[in-house]
Amino acid sequence: MARIVTPTAFDAIDPAKRIRNVALTLLAVGVGVLVLWLLEGAGSTKLVQALALFAIWGVATVSLNLINGTLGILSLGHHGFMLIGGYTTGLLMLDEAARQRILTSARSTMTEETLALSVSNLLRGVGLDALTTPETLWVRFLIAIFLGGLLAAFAGLLVGTPSLRLRGDYLAIVTFGFGEIIRLTASTRLFSAYTNGALGFPGVTSEFGKSIWWTFGVLAFTVFVISKLKYSSYGRAMQAIREDEIAAQAMGVNVAYHKILGFVISAFFAGVAGGLWVSWLGGVRLDFFLFQLTFFFLVAISAGGTGSITGVLLGTAVVVFVRQYGDPLEENYTIQTWLYIASATLALAAAGAVLFRTLRRLRPRLHWGSWVLLGGAAVAAVVAAVDPAVIEGTFRGFGMRAIFLSVLLIVIMVFRPEGMLGRTEFSWSWLLREQRTGPTDEERTQDAWMSNPAFRSDAGAAASREVEGPSDAAAPDDDEGGR
Amino acid sequence: MAMLEVEHLRKSFGGLTATNDVSFHVNQGEIVSIIGPNGAGKSTVFNLITGVYRPDAGDVRFEGKSIVGKSTNQVVDLGIARTFQNLRLFTNLTVLENVLISQHHRLRSNWLAAVFRTPSYRRQERSMREVATEKLGFFGPRLQSFRLHQPVYVLSYANRRRTEMARAMATGAKLLLLDEPSAGMNPKETSEITQIIRRMRDEGGYTIVLVEHKMNLVGEISDRVVVLDYGEKIAEGEYRSVVNDPKVIEAYLGKKAADDKREELADG
Repeated sequence: MARIVTPTAFDAIDPAKRIRNVALTLLAVGVGVLVLWLLEGAGSTKLVQALALFAIWGVATVSLNLINGTLGILSLGHHGFMLIGGYTTGLLMLDEAARQRILTSARSTMTEETLALSVSNLLRGVGLDALTTPETLWVRFLIAIFLGGLLAAFAGLLVGTPSLRLRGDYLAIVTFGFGEIIRLTASTRLFSAYTNGALGFPGVTSEFGKSIWWTFGVLAFTVFVISKLKYSSYGRAMQAIREDEIAAQAMGVNVAYHKILGFVISAFFAGVAGGLWVSWLGGVRLDFFLFQLTFFFLVAISAGGTGSITGVLLGTAVVVFVRQYGDPLEENYTIQTWLYIASATLALAAAGAVLFRTLRRLRPRLHWGSWVLLGGAAVAAVVAAVDPAVIEGTFRGFGMRAIFLSVLLIVIMVFRPEGMLGRTEFSWSWLLREQRTGPTDEERTQDAWMSNPAFRSDAGAAASREVEGPSDAAAPDDDEGGR
Repeated sequence: MAMLEVEHLRKSFGGLTATNDVSFHVNQGEIVSIIGPNGAGKSTVFNLITGVYRPDAGDVRFEGKSIVGKSTNQVVDLGIARTFQNLRLFTNLTVLENVLISQHHRLRSNWLAAVFRTPSYRRQERSMREVATEKLGFFGPRLQSFRLHQPVYVLSYANRRRTEMARAMATGAKLLLLDEPSAGMNPKETSEITQIIRRMRDEGGYTIVLVEHKMNLVGEISDRVVVLDYGEKIAEGEYRSVVNDPKVIEAYLGKKAADDKREELADG
């Protein structure tokens, strides 16, 4: 039996670089932990809150991307899964004071039995009284978000099942419908004993949702599980379903099983993210789980790059930053100021266009569109400087944050439809600019084999004899188009 | 005993009968070609065997057991793999990943074991990679080393065909259904793929069913040829006898050519 004797490289990167990359990653994680620690000590509450929100939404976007990016199914029901996890965690973690307030409130629809549902009572029931002290609150929180995740995963199973029969847009509509059904069902009489109807309830501990350590810990765990899954055989099978469902099935992949598996795992982490989100907000209310939430996640995923976990996190960071620090966009300014802002924005857009065309090596660098932008900037600046009486007054930019995000998304979709990072994960080789300049020895050997007609008739035998043959790079390479 | 037995297979789509009462068998270690003009139902036969369609009547038996009604991936589990006429590779994934995916159904670890990379999972992953390079090795070093990590979309057309064949082999199948393996290849590449198909049988131990239009390829490697026309089997046998069959000539070249042949046979 003829065997090929070429050394086979299983890994795309060589071992030495791999060790260096691991070391660099550990170093980066260490620096990150240090920075977080310093920020928590010295930074403002606002920054800490923003970071915690980034981590919570990161859990949600990374898990949503398992369905949208890896499995290739557009799912719009993530807010529903989060709601299940959030309400479960909220109910199970209500503190005693809040319980009493709800019980005595006239508008409350919750009953004594439903309010008695808590992790503490559960633990007392199984005789673990030691875990019901205030010091062990974290154990109870862990149990609560785990249970919330499990319930959400069960919902994921229910939503995943129709995904076997539907495809594309139709499936997206079904997932959206499921998300809304979950949300609206939670407010009906059927569940109002558990959810307190549309009112929800305050009094969920913020100790964990606003703690950088907890949220980043959960995020790290999520990224670990989802990335390990994506780069395992199961993840490859899921990506195969994304690429070509019929071919995947014809190659033995059990499409139904893998789709549902993806939905269940994704929903589990969505439920966990919902628990943290509720804790971050300090209470539960129906309008914390609007479709808007899923929309923000989709913006983050599309802006960052559906194929890449690091890209999704980058997109999440952008969205959370705009959400938390976008207040200046929505303040009351005079129209004169707005004109200056418009002028500066147009000038920046023109500068961005020039930069873009320079990077892409397009000529002329100053496209006529840039002149139009610059002209607009000049007009706005002149009008603002002259300040005619007709533009007296002030204007408040309500919703400017959402507009800003939308414009950002449009720009990314036009100029880089695959998202900021696209399909490539962040890698040290990319950061250190380790790009290849010429063919490797291995490639030269292959070229020699390809271009020597003597080897062509009987591939295997010739190759095993002549792999070390002289390189003949000058001969035309009629077979290979792509390098 | 025949490895694959197809008996009285019938499938119609509305008013169109794609295959009608088609029967043939394939023995272990044979290379059988299915030929016929366009629309003769060759690909439909493949789809019926692999469970993409369910036959209206008839039976398909693999190693003595009926496989009618099994889903496509269960058929692969049993040991039948196919390639597609118009390539269906996972275009954005690398060559290696493509060939690994077709081995996924043999993985004996659950997803948690895969996430935590248990020793057993690692062992299986390593052996999957070895199988992948072994199968790609049938096509020489051209799909080895750095090519393993190239996405399929940068490959040439011929290399994509080869990758697809390697992918089908890696499923662990005993029977390969190759749907036009040389489509879009130049004469040089066709003669090479002919040798490779033969080596797949001789060295790899695969039993092979081909659908093919290139008659020199069919004539060179087929043990037997099955000819379909309008969904019906019109001839079966060795290549030499089949191509001289007036019915086959009629199907390909029309009645006049067939009548000429009949006269010639009557004279000679």
